[in-house]
Amino acid sequence: MSTIHITLNGQKRELPSGSSVADLLKLESADSLKVAVVVNEQIVRPDDRASHLLQKSDQVEILVFAGGG
Amino acid sequence: MNALRLGSYTFSSRLILGTGKFSSVPAMIEAVRASKAQLVTVALRRFNREQAEDDLFGPLSEIEGLTLMPNTSGAATAKEAVKAAHISRELSGSPFIKVEIHPNPHHLMPDPIETWEACKILAAEGFIVMPYIPADPVLAKRLEEVGCSSVMPLGSAIGSGQGLSTSAMVQLIIRESSIPVIVDAGLRSPSEACAAMEMGCAAVLVNSAIAVARDPAAMASAFAKAVEAGYDARNAGLMPRSGSAVATSPLTSFLGASS
Repeated sequence: MSTIHITLNGQKRELPSGSSVADLLKLESADSLKVAVVVNEQIVRPDDRASHLLQKSDQVEILVFAGGG
Repeated sequence: MNALRLGSYTFSSRLILGTGKFSSVPAMIEAVRASKAQLVTVALRRFNREQAEDDLFGPLSEIEGLTLMPNTSGAATAKEAVKAAHISRELSGSPFIKVEIHPNPHHLMPDPIETWEACKILAAEGFIVMPYIPADPVLAKRLEEVGCSSVMPLGSAIGSGQGLSTSAMVQLIIRESSIPVIVDAGLRSPSEACAAMEMGCAAVLVNSAIAVARDPAAMASAFAKAVEAGYDARNAGLMPRSGSAVATSPLTSFLGASS
């Protein structure tokens, strides 16, 4: 199986080629949470996550709300 | 209490709660409920699967009538704050954004120039913009002019508990502003929140004083009462100060002294 390397929240990650943003969220156990996803500075909305395929060297951020003042 | 108006939203509570620094999510939720706050701040953070239980969206969305106000903490420039605002709106579904740009971690003082720039962009994009600012009446007016829905001058440094050290400047801001003025940061005690409301603040934003109290829920309730008392007192009309005593009882003698 061919793989690609992406950067997820600042860390290198290896994923199967053809993985979508939705696949990544599942792998990260983040699919049941309300998260924001940013790929290469662009927000990927929930409706687009299954069809948005990740490419090698993509910079991906998964963000949540934490406590803050 | 009359409603607090921010953009097209109205709130009966004038206590805005920060959700940072609590010992646990349940402790924070209990404090939010006790505070009767309807607007709470949250911060963006990178997802960490090891700490997934720290995600606040789920627990906060179970509290009825609560609106989220994400902050842009972590941003050191206007550009970063605008980016954080866009991501936050995507996540919260709320038009509120607390613009918070403090490049120096030692004092956490807001950068007025970057703050103004970010607010101008975000207000034009339709956000309800609530900037955290130094207690500067000129900056406050400039922010009002670019469409901010409120200004939030600091009482003292974030998390310092030094109270309303900017009192004189906050009073100038209130006098000059046509938008709600909300003291944000530095308050330590309910009496300080009460004093801010008596001064004419439209609301106060409190986090550390409640989060690090021995009993956060009890402290949240105490702040809520103080804010309400201060607001009522302001509307009732505080008596003028006098440089000398003004008797409250008749001073005519009647106990048979000389005459």
